[in-house]
Amino acid sequence: MANDTTKKRKAILVTPESCIGCRACQVACKSWNQLDPIKTKNNGTYQNPPDLAGTAFNIIQFSEVPSQIDPVRWLFLSRRCMHCDDAGCMTICPSPGALFRTPEGAVAFDHKKCIGCKLCSSACPFDVPRYGADGKMSKCNLCADRIAADMTPSCVKTCPTGALKFGDRDELISAAQKEGFKTIYGEKDLGGLGTIYAFKDEPKLYGMLENPTIPTSVVFWHTYLKPLSLIGLGGVVAAAAIHYLAIGPHKEEEKEEEV
Amino acid sequence: MAEMIRKSSTDEIVNHLILAGSCILLMLTGFGFLFHVDAIGSVFGGFNTMKTVHNWLGIAFALSLLYSLHHYLIESLEYDADDVQWFKVAGGYLSHKVKVPPMGKYNPGQKLYYLAVVGFGFAIIISGIGLWFFQDNRTVMLLSHIIHNVSFVVFVIAVPVHMYLGTLANPGTLQIMVNGMMPLKDARKKHPKWIKAIGKM
Repeated sequence: MANDTTKKRKAILVTPESCIGCRACQVACKSWNQLDPIKTKNNGTYQNPPDLAGTAFNIIQFSEVPSQIDPVRWLFLSRRCMHCDDAGCMTICPSPGALFRTPEGAVAFDHKKCIGCKLCSSACPFDVPRYGADGKMSKCNLCADRIAADMTPSCVKTCPTGALKFGDRDELISAAQKEGFKTIYGEKDLGGLGTIYAFKDEPKLYGMLENPTIPTSVVFWHTYLKPLSLIGLGGVVAAAAIHYLAIGPHKEEEKEEEV
Repeated sequence: MAEMIRKSSTDEIVNHLILAGSCILLMLTGFGFLFHVDAIGSVFGGFNTMKTVHNWLGIAFALSLLYSLHHYLIESLEYDADDVQWFKVAGGYLSHKVKVPPMGKYNPGQKLYYLAVVGFGFAIIISGIGLWFFQDNRTVMLLSHIIHNVSFVVFVIAVPVHMYLGTLANPGTLQIMVNGMMPLKDARKKHPKWIKAIGKM
Protein backbone atom coordinates (compact mmCIF):
# COMPACT_ATOMS: atom_id res chain seq x y z
CA MET A 1 0.00 0.00 0.00
CA ALA A 2 2.27 2.73 -1.23
CA ASN A 3 1.27 6.12 0.02
CA ASP A 4 2.14 9.52 -1.33
CA THR A 5 3.69 10.62 1.94
CA THR A 6 6.81 8.50 1.46
CA LYS A 7 8.99 11.53 0.79
CA LYS A 8 8.41 13.17 4.12
CA ARG A 9 7.73 9.91 5.88
CA LYS A 10 8.74 10.04 9.52
CA ALA A 11 10.08 7.14 11.52
CA ILE A 12 11.46 6.10 14.87
CA LEU A 13 14.94 4.65 14.70
CA VAL A 14 15.69 2.25 17.54
CA THR A 15 19.34 1.49 18.31
CA PRO A 16 19.09 -1.35 20.83
CA GLU A 17 22.85 -1.21 21.42
CA SER A 18 22.45 2.23 23.04
CA CYS A 19 19.44 1.24 25.14
CA ILE A 20 20.08 0.96 28.88
CA GLY A 21 16.69 -0.53 29.68
CA CYS A 22 15.58 2.34 31.89
CA ARG A 23 12.02 2.18 30.57
CA ALA A 24 11.57 5.93 30.67
CA CYS A 25 9.97 5.52 27.22
CA GLN A 26 7.29 3.28 28.74
CA VAL A 27 6.53 5.86 31.40
CA ALA A 28 6.53 8.79 28.97
CA CYS A 29 4.15 6.92 26.67
CA LYS A 30 1.75 6.19 29.53
CA SER A 31 1.95 9.77 30.67
CA TRP A 32 1.30 11.42 27.32
CA ASN A 33 -1.37 8.97 26.19
CA GLN A 34 -2.97 8.89 29.67
CA LEU A 35 -2.94 5.12 29.88
CA ASP A 36 -4.02 3.32 33.03
CA PRO A 37 -1.47 1.27 34.96
CA ILE A 38 -1.51 -2.52 34.78
CA LYS A 39 -1.15 -4.71 37.86
CA THR A 40 1.56 -7.26 37.13
CA LYS A 41 3.45 -9.97 38.99
CA ASN A 42 7.17 -10.46 39.31
CA ASN A 43 7.90 -13.33 36.98
CA GLY A 44 11.66 -13.32 37.30
CA THR A 45 12.49 -10.65 34.76
CA TYR A 46 12.79 -6.90 34.71
CA GLN A 47 10.51 -6.89 31.69
CA ASN A 48 7.40 -5.23 32.98
CA PRO A 49 4.63 -5.16 31.86
CA PRO A 50 5.28 -8.59 30.40
CA ASP A 51 3.86 -7.73 26.99
CA LEU A 52 2.25 -4.97 24.97
CA ALA A 53 -1.25 -4.26 26.24
CA GLY A 54 -4.28 -2.10 25.66
CA THR A 55 -2.68 0.42 28.02
CA ALA A 56 0.96 -0.32 27.17
CA PHE A 57 1.79 0.89 23.67
CA ASN A 58 5.52 0.28 24.03
CA ILE A 59 7.65 -2.03 26.12
CA ILE A 60 11.28 -2.89 26.53
CA GLN A 61 11.79 -6.56 25.85
CA PHE A 62 14.56 -7.95 28.07
CA SER A 63 16.44 -11.01 26.94
CA GLU A 64 19.55 -12.79 28.12
CA VAL A 65 21.83 -14.41 25.54
CA PRO A 66 25.17 -16.23 25.81
CA SER A 67 28.28 -14.09 25.47
CA GLN A 68 31.93 -14.89 24.84
CA ILE A 69 33.26 -12.09 27.07
CA ASP A 70 30.81 -11.96 29.95
CA PRO A 71 28.85 -14.75 31.59
CA VAL A 72 25.74 -13.38 29.88
CA ARG A 73 24.59 -10.54 27.64
CA TRP A 74 21.51 -8.60 28.57
CA LEU A 75 19.64 -7.21 25.58
CA PHE A 76 17.04 -4.47 25.56
CA LEU A 77 14.65 -4.09 22.66
CA SER A 78 12.17 -1.25 22.52
CA ARG A 79 8.96 -2.57 20.91
CA ARG A 80 5.93 -0.73 19.58
CA CYS A 81 3.80 -0.65 16.44
CA MET A 82 6.01 -0.92 13.35
CA HIS A 83 3.84 1.43 11.25
CA CYS A 84 4.28 -0.76 8.16
CA ASP A 85 3.86 0.85 4.77
CA ASP A 86 1.98 -2.26 3.66
CA ALA A 87 0.01 -2.68 6.86
CA GLY A 88 -1.92 -5.96 7.32
CA CYS A 89 -4.16 -4.36 9.94
CA MET A 90 -5.29 -1.65 7.53
CA THR A 91 -5.82 -4.18 4.75
CA ILE A 92 -8.12 -6.42 6.77
CA CYS A 93 -9.99 -3.77 8.82
CA PRO A 94 -13.70 -3.78 7.80
CA SER A 95 -14.57 -0.39 9.26
CA PRO A 96 -13.60 2.65 7.18
CA GLY A 97 -11.53 5.19 9.06
CA ALA A 98 -10.94 2.99 12.11
CA LEU A 99 -7.31 2.64 11.04
CA PHE A 100 -5.85 5.40 8.94
CA ARG A 101 -2.56 6.72 7.61
CA THR A 102 -1.37 10.04 8.98
CA PRO A 103 0.39 12.48 6.62
CA GLU A 104 3.66 11.49 8.34
CA GLY A 105 3.12 7.85 7.39
CA ALA A 106 2.04 6.50 10.78
CA VAL A 107 -0.78 3.98 11.21
CA ALA A 108 -3.21 5.69 13.57
CA PHE A 109 -6.64 4.65 14.83
CA ASP A 110 -10.01 6.17 15.61
CA HIS A 111 -11.57 4.64 18.71
CA LYS A 112 -15.09 5.63 17.72
CA LYS A 113 -14.90 3.91 14.36
CA CYS A 114 -13.33 0.67 15.63
CA ILE A 115 -15.96 -2.09 15.73
CA GLY A 116 -13.88 -4.36 17.95
CA CYS A 117 -13.77 -7.30 15.52
CA LYS A 118 -10.08 -7.92 16.30
CA LEU A 119 -9.24 -8.93 12.75
CA CYS A 120 -6.32 -6.47 12.80
CA SER A 121 -4.41 -8.47 15.37
CA SER A 122 -4.79 -11.62 13.23
CA ALA A 123 -3.32 -9.83 10.21
CA CYS A 124 -0.45 -8.10 12.02
CA PRO A 125 2.90 -9.84 11.43
CA PHE A 126 4.30 -8.30 14.63
CA ASP A 127 1.46 -9.15 17.03
CA VAL A 128 0.99 -5.49 17.95
CA PRO A 129 -2.71 -4.55 18.19
CA ARG A 130 -4.17 -4.84 21.67
CA TYR A 131 -7.61 -4.05 23.01
CA GLY A 132 -8.85 -1.84 25.79
CA ALA A 133 -11.51 -2.68 28.36
CA ASP A 134 -14.09 -1.44 25.84
CA GLY A 135 -12.97 -4.12 23.38
CA LYS A 136 -11.61 -1.53 20.98
CA MET A 137 -8.20 -1.63 19.39
CA SER A 138 -5.43 0.48 20.84
CA LYS A 139 -1.77 0.71 19.97
CA CYS A 140 1.05 3.16 19.36
CA ASN A 141 0.06 5.83 16.83
CA LEU A 142 3.54 7.39 16.68
CA CYS A 143 2.12 10.17 18.89
CA ALA A 144 0.25 11.44 15.83
CA ASP A 145 -1.01 14.42 17.83
CA ARG A 146 2.51 15.43 18.88
CA ILE A 147 4.19 14.98 15.51
CA ALA A 148 1.40 16.92 13.80
CA ALA A 149 2.48 19.81 16.06
CA ASP A 150 6.16 19.39 15.17
CA MET A 151 7.03 17.65 18.43
CA THR A 152 8.74 14.29 18.74
CA PRO A 153 6.88 11.23 20.07
CA SER A 154 6.89 11.13 23.86
CA CYS A 155 9.06 7.99 24.06
CA VAL A 156 11.74 9.59 21.88
CA LYS A 157 11.52 12.88 23.76
CA THR A 158 12.35 11.20 27.05
CA CYS A 159 15.00 8.71 25.91
CA PRO A 160 18.21 9.69 27.71
CA THR A 161 20.70 7.81 25.52
CA GLY A 162 19.61 8.40 21.93
CA ALA A 163 18.53 4.77 21.59
CA LEU A 164 15.31 6.22 20.21
CA LYS A 165 15.54 8.82 17.47
CA PHE A 166 12.75 10.43 15.49
CA GLY A 167 12.92 12.18 12.15
CA ASP A 168 12.83 11.85 8.39
CA ARG A 169 12.90 8.15 7.64
CA ASP A 170 15.43 8.41 4.83
CA GLU A 171 17.78 10.59 6.85
CA LEU A 172 17.63 8.26 9.86
CA ILE A 173 18.50 5.29 7.66
CA SER A 174 21.47 6.94 5.95
CA ALA A 175 22.78 8.30 9.25
CA ALA A 176 22.64 4.84 10.83
CA GLN A 177 24.37 3.30 7.84
CA LYS A 178 27.15 5.90 8.09
CA GLU A 179 27.61 5.01 11.73
CA GLY A 180 28.41 1.50 10.61
CA PHE A 181 25.27 -0.43 11.46
CA LYS A 182 25.19 -3.52 9.22
CA THR A 183 21.50 -4.20 9.40
CA ILE A 184 18.75 -1.61 9.21
CA TYR A 185 15.78 -3.75 10.17
CA GLY A 186 12.61 -2.68 8.39
CA GLU A 187 14.27 -0.70 5.62
CA LYS A 188 12.51 -2.77 2.96
CA ASP A 189 10.19 -5.15 4.83
CA LEU A 190 6.46 -4.70 4.14
CA GLY A 191 7.10 -1.70 1.94
CA GLY A 192 9.33 -0.23 4.61
CA LEU A 193 8.57 0.01 8.31
CA GLY A 194 7.98 3.20 10.26
CA THR A 195 9.82 1.78 13.26
CA ILE A 196 13.28 0.81 12.10
CA TYR A 197 16.10 -0.79 14.04
CA ALA A 198 19.86 -0.35 13.68
CA PHE A 199 21.67 -3.59 14.54
CA LYS A 200 25.26 -4.71 14.53
CA ASP A 201 24.23 -8.17 15.67
CA GLU A 202 21.78 -10.44 13.91
CA PRO A 203 18.24 -9.08 14.51
CA LYS A 204 17.23 -12.63 15.38
CA LEU A 205 19.39 -12.42 18.51
CA TYR A 206 17.03 -9.75 19.82
CA GLY A 207 13.99 -11.84 18.95
CA MET A 208 13.09 -9.95 15.78
CA LEU A 209 11.04 -11.71 13.09
CA GLU A 210 13.28 -12.74 10.20
CA ASN A 211 10.95 -12.20 7.26
CA PRO A 212 7.82 -10.42 8.43
CA THR A 213 4.92 -10.92 6.01
CA ILE A 214 1.16 -10.42 6.04
CA PRO A 215 -0.58 -13.84 6.37
CA THR A 216 -0.98 -15.49 2.94
CA SER A 217 -4.73 -15.93 3.39
CA VAL A 218 -5.16 -12.20 3.95
CA VAL A 219 -3.14 -11.36 0.83
CA PHE A 220 -5.13 -13.93 -1.19
CA TRP A 221 -8.41 -12.56 0.11
CA HIS A 222 -7.45 -8.98 -0.65
CA THR A 223 -6.01 -9.71 -4.11
CA TYR A 224 -8.49 -12.24 -5.47
CA LEU A 225 -11.59 -12.83 -3.35
CA LYS A 226 -12.59 -9.19 -2.90
CA PRO A 227 -12.58 -8.41 -6.64
CA LEU A 228 -14.17 -11.81 -7.37
CA SER A 229 -17.21 -11.01 -5.24
CA LEU A 230 -17.90 -7.88 -7.28
CA ILE A 231 -17.10 -9.48 -10.64
CA GLY A 232 -19.22 -12.50 -9.69
CA LEU A 233 -22.23 -10.44 -8.70
CA GLY A 234 -21.91 -8.18 -11.74
CA GLY A 235 -21.41 -11.22 -13.96
CA VAL A 236 -24.56 -13.05 -12.90
CA VAL A 237 -26.68 -9.90 -13.10
CA ALA A 238 -25.37 -9.28 -16.62
CA ALA A 239 -25.85 -12.94 -17.57
CA ALA A 240 -29.45 -12.85 -16.29
CA ALA A 241 -30.17 -9.70 -18.31
CA ILE A 242 -28.65 -11.23 -21.45
CA HIS A 243 -30.57 -14.47 -20.91
CA TYR A 244 -33.83 -12.59 -20.49
CA LEU A 245 -33.30 -10.60 -23.67
CA ALA A 246 -31.68 -13.25 -25.88
CA ILE A 247 -33.55 -16.41 -24.87
CA GLY A 248 -36.41 -15.09 -22.81
CA PRO A 249 -38.45 -16.49 -19.94
CA HIS A 250 -39.93 -19.95 -19.76
CA LYS A 251 -43.01 -20.31 -21.98
CA GLU A 252 -45.90 -22.63 -21.37
CA GLU A 253 -46.17 -25.28 -24.05
CA GLU A 254 -49.93 -24.73 -24.37
CA LYS A 255 -49.29 -21.40 -26.07
CA GLU A 256 -47.60 -23.28 -28.89
CA GLU A 257 -50.61 -25.58 -29.08
CA GLU A 258 -52.92 -22.61 -29.32
CA VAL A 259 -51.04 -21.18 -32.31
CA MET B 1 -60.89 -19.17 -11.48
CA ALA B 2 -58.49 -21.91 -12.29
CA GLU B 3 -58.11 -24.74 -9.83
CA MET B 4 -55.08 -24.14 -7.59
CA ILE B 5 -52.80 -26.53 -5.79
CA ARG B 6 -50.68 -25.84 -2.73
CA LYS B 7 -46.95 -26.24 -3.44
CA SER B 8 -45.55 -24.59 -0.29
CA SER B 9 -47.00 -24.70 3.20
CA THR B 10 -47.35 -21.53 5.27
CA ASP B 11 -44.52 -22.91 7.35
CA GLU B 12 -42.23 -23.08 4.33
CA ILE B 13 -43.27 -19.64 3.09
CA VAL B 14 -42.57 -17.90 6.40
CA ASN B 15 -39.28 -19.70 6.88
CA HIS B 16 -38.17 -18.97 3.33
CA LEU B 17 -38.98 -15.28 3.89
CA ILE B 18 -36.79 -15.22 7.02
CA LEU B 19 -34.00 -17.08 5.22
CA ALA B 20 -34.18 -14.85 2.15
CA GLY B 21 -34.56 -11.60 4.08
CA SER B 22 -31.69 -12.31 6.46
CA CYS B 23 -29.53 -13.57 3.59
CA ILE B 24 -30.02 -10.43 1.50
CA LEU B 25 -29.37 -8.11 4.46
CA LEU B 26 -26.31 -10.15 5.44
CA MET B 27 -24.93 -9.89 1.91
CA LEU B 28 -25.64 -6.17 1.80
CA THR B 29 -23.92 -5.48 5.13
CA GLY B 30 -21.16 -7.87 4.06
CA PHE B 31 -20.51 -5.74 1.00
CA GLY B 32 -20.51 -2.72 3.31
CA PHE B 33 -17.70 -4.23 5.40
CA LEU B 34 -15.79 -5.61 2.43
CA PHE B 35 -15.66 -2.40 0.43
CA HIS B 36 -15.99 0.18 3.23
CA VAL B 37 -19.30 1.45 1.83
CA ASP B 38 -20.17 4.41 4.06
CA ALA B 39 -23.63 4.67 2.47
CA ILE B 40 -24.52 1.17 3.76
CA GLY B 41 -22.97 1.84 7.18
CA SER B 42 -24.98 5.05 7.51
CA VAL B 43 -28.25 3.15 7.09
CA PHE B 44 -27.45 1.38 10.35
CA GLY B 45 -26.09 4.47 12.08
CA GLY B 46 -22.47 3.46 11.66
CA PHE B 47 -20.34 0.36 11.33
CA ASN B 48 -20.52 -0.49 15.03
CA THR B 49 -24.27 -1.01 14.92
CA MET B 50 -23.99 -2.64 11.51
CA LYS B 51 -21.68 -5.26 13.02
CA THR B 52 -24.23 -6.04 15.74
CA VAL B 53 -27.02 -6.25 13.17
CA HIS B 54 -24.88 -8.48 10.91
CA ASN B 55 -24.05 -10.84 13.80
CA TRP B 56 -27.66 -11.28 14.94
CA LEU B 57 -28.99 -11.59 11.42
CA GLY B 58 -26.49 -14.42 11.15
CA ILE B 59 -28.25 -16.14 14.06
CA ALA B 60 -31.62 -15.67 12.33
CA PHE B 61 -30.16 -17.06 9.10
CA ALA B 62 -28.64 -20.04 10.94
CA LEU B 63 -31.89 -20.96 12.73
CA SER B 64 -33.87 -20.55 9.55
CA LEU B 65 -31.44 -22.68 7.55
CA LEU B 66 -31.57 -25.40 10.21
CA TYR B 67 -35.37 -25.32 10.17
CA SER B 68 -35.44 -25.52 6.36
CA LEU B 69 -33.61 -28.86 6.43
CA HIS B 70 -36.80 -30.83 7.17
CA HIS B 71 -38.53 -29.11 4.26
CA TYR B 72 -36.05 -29.73 1.50
CA LEU B 73 -33.04 -31.85 2.49
CA ILE B 74 -34.33 -35.34 1.73
CA GLU B 75 -35.75 -34.40 -1.66
CA SER B 76 -32.61 -32.47 -2.58
CA LEU B 77 -30.56 -35.63 -2.12
CA GLU B 78 -32.63 -37.77 -4.51
CA TYR B 79 -31.82 -37.79 -8.21
CA ASP B 80 -33.11 -40.02 -11.03
CA ALA B 81 -32.54 -40.53 -14.77
CA ASP B 82 -34.86 -37.63 -15.64
CA ASP B 83 -32.70 -35.36 -13.50
CA VAL B 84 -29.62 -36.40 -15.46
CA GLN B 85 -31.50 -35.69 -18.70
CA TRP B 86 -32.55 -32.31 -17.26
CA PHE B 87 -28.90 -31.31 -17.03
CA LYS B 88 -28.29 -32.47 -20.62
CA VAL B 89 -30.91 -30.00 -21.87
CA ALA B 90 -29.80 -27.36 -19.33
CA GLY B 91 -33.29 -27.37 -17.87
CA GLY B 92 -34.64 -25.91 -21.11
CA TYR B 93 -33.21 -22.53 -20.17
CA LEU B 94 -30.83 -22.24 -23.11
CA SER B 95 -33.41 -23.11 -25.76
CA HIS B 96 -37.18 -23.34 -25.78
CA LYS B 97 -37.09 -26.04 -28.44
CA VAL B 98 -35.58 -28.85 -26.38
CA LYS B 99 -37.77 -31.36 -24.60
CA VAL B 100 -37.46 -31.01 -20.82
CA PRO B 101 -37.95 -34.36 -19.05
CA PRO B 102 -40.84 -34.70 -16.54
CA MET B 103 -39.93 -33.28 -13.13
CA GLY B 104 -40.98 -33.92 -9.57
CA LYS B 105 -41.70 -31.14 -7.11
CA TYR B 106 -38.23 -29.65 -7.61
CA ASN B 107 -35.85 -29.81 -10.54
CA PRO B 108 -32.24 -30.94 -9.99
CA GLY B 109 -31.00 -27.35 -10.40
CA GLN B 110 -33.10 -26.33 -7.43
CA LYS B 111 -31.98 -29.38 -5.47
CA LEU B 112 -28.30 -28.69 -6.10
CA TYR B 113 -28.84 -25.02 -5.28
CA TYR B 114 -30.33 -26.04 -1.95
CA LEU B 115 -27.39 -28.34 -1.20
CA ALA B 116 -24.99 -25.48 -2.02
CA VAL B 117 -26.91 -23.14 0.27
CA VAL B 118 -26.77 -25.74 3.05
CA GLY B 119 -23.06 -26.49 2.52
CA PHE B 120 -21.79 -22.94 2.14
CA GLY B 121 -24.48 -21.73 4.55
CA PHE B 122 -23.11 -23.84 7.36
CA ALA B 123 -19.56 -22.89 6.32
CA ILE B 124 -20.42 -19.20 6.57
CA ILE B 125 -22.32 -19.72 9.85
CA ILE B 126 -19.55 -21.68 11.55
CA SER B 127 -16.84 -19.31 10.33
CA GLY B 128 -19.04 -16.41 11.45
CA ILE B 129 -19.17 -17.94 14.92
CA GLY B 130 -15.38 -18.23 14.76
CA LEU B 131 -15.03 -14.53 13.93
CA TRP B 132 -17.53 -13.55 16.60
CA PHE B 133 -16.44 -15.66 19.54
CA PHE B 134 -12.83 -16.75 18.96
CA GLN B 135 -11.26 -13.34 18.49
CA ASP B 136 -8.18 -14.17 20.53
CA ASN B 137 -7.25 -17.23 18.51
CA ARG B 138 -5.27 -16.10 15.49
CA THR B 139 -5.53 -19.44 13.64
CA VAL B 140 -9.29 -19.66 14.10
CA MET B 141 -9.68 -16.02 13.06
CA LEU B 142 -7.65 -16.27 9.86
CA LEU B 143 -9.23 -19.59 8.88
CA SER B 144 -12.73 -18.27 9.61
CA HIS B 145 -11.99 -15.08 7.72
CA ILE B 146 -11.06 -16.92 4.54
CA ILE B 147 -13.91 -19.46 4.78
CA HIS B 148 -16.41 -16.66 5.46
CA ASN B 149 -15.23 -14.79 2.38
CA VAL B 150 -15.10 -17.80 0.03
CA SER B 151 -18.67 -18.67 1.07
CA PHE B 152 -19.66 -15.05 0.58
CA VAL B 153 -18.47 -15.16 -3.03
CA VAL B 154 -20.54 -18.32 -3.61
CA PHE B 155 -23.62 -16.65 -2.10
CA VAL B 156 -23.38 -13.41 -4.07
CA ILE B 157 -23.19 -15.47 -7.26
CA ALA B 158 -25.74 -18.19 -6.47
CA VAL B 159 -28.47 -16.15 -4.79
CA PRO B 160 -29.06 -13.66 -7.65
CA VAL B 161 -29.32 -16.62 -10.06
CA HIS B 162 -31.95 -18.18 -7.78
CA MET B 163 -33.80 -14.84 -7.61
CA TYR B 164 -33.79 -14.45 -11.39
CA LEU B 165 -34.99 -18.01 -12.00
CA GLY B 166 -37.70 -17.57 -9.37
CA THR B 167 -39.07 -14.38 -10.87
CA LEU B 168 -38.39 -13.08 -14.39
CA ALA B 169 -37.16 -16.34 -15.93
CA ASN B 170 -40.23 -18.31 -14.80
CA PRO B 171 -43.29 -16.06 -14.74
CA GLY B 172 -45.76 -17.07 -12.05
CA THR B 173 -43.15 -18.61 -9.76
CA LEU B 174 -42.96 -15.69 -7.37
CA GLN B 175 -46.56 -16.33 -6.37
CA ILE B 176 -45.54 -19.67 -4.83
CA MET B 177 -43.10 -17.85 -2.56
CA VAL B 178 -45.85 -15.44 -1.49
CA ASN B 179 -48.96 -17.59 -1.01
CA GLY B 180 -47.75 -21.10 -1.78
CA MET B 181 -50.30 -21.76 -4.52
CA MET B 182 -49.93 -22.53 -8.21
CA PRO B 183 -52.52 -23.38 -10.89
CA LEU B 184 -53.08 -27.14 -11.08
CA LYS B 185 -52.84 -27.18 -14.86
CA ASP B 186 -49.39 -25.52 -14.71
CA ALA B 187 -48.30 -27.97 -12.04
CA ARG B 188 -49.38 -30.91 -14.25
CA LYS B 189 -47.05 -29.64 -16.95
CA LYS B 190 -44.11 -28.53 -14.84
CA HIS B 191 -44.20 -31.14 -12.08
CA PRO B 192 -45.97 -34.18 -13.57
CA LYS B 193 -44.22 -36.69 -11.31
CA TRP B 194 -45.18 -34.74 -8.19
CA ILE B 195 -48.82 -34.40 -9.28
CA LYS B 196 -48.94 -38.10 -10.12
CA ALA B 197 -47.50 -38.96 -6.71
CA ILE B 198 -50.25 -37.02 -4.95
CA GLY B 199 -52.90 -38.50 -7.26
CA LYS B 200 -54.17 -35.34 -8.95
CA MET B 201 -53.04 -36.03 -12.49
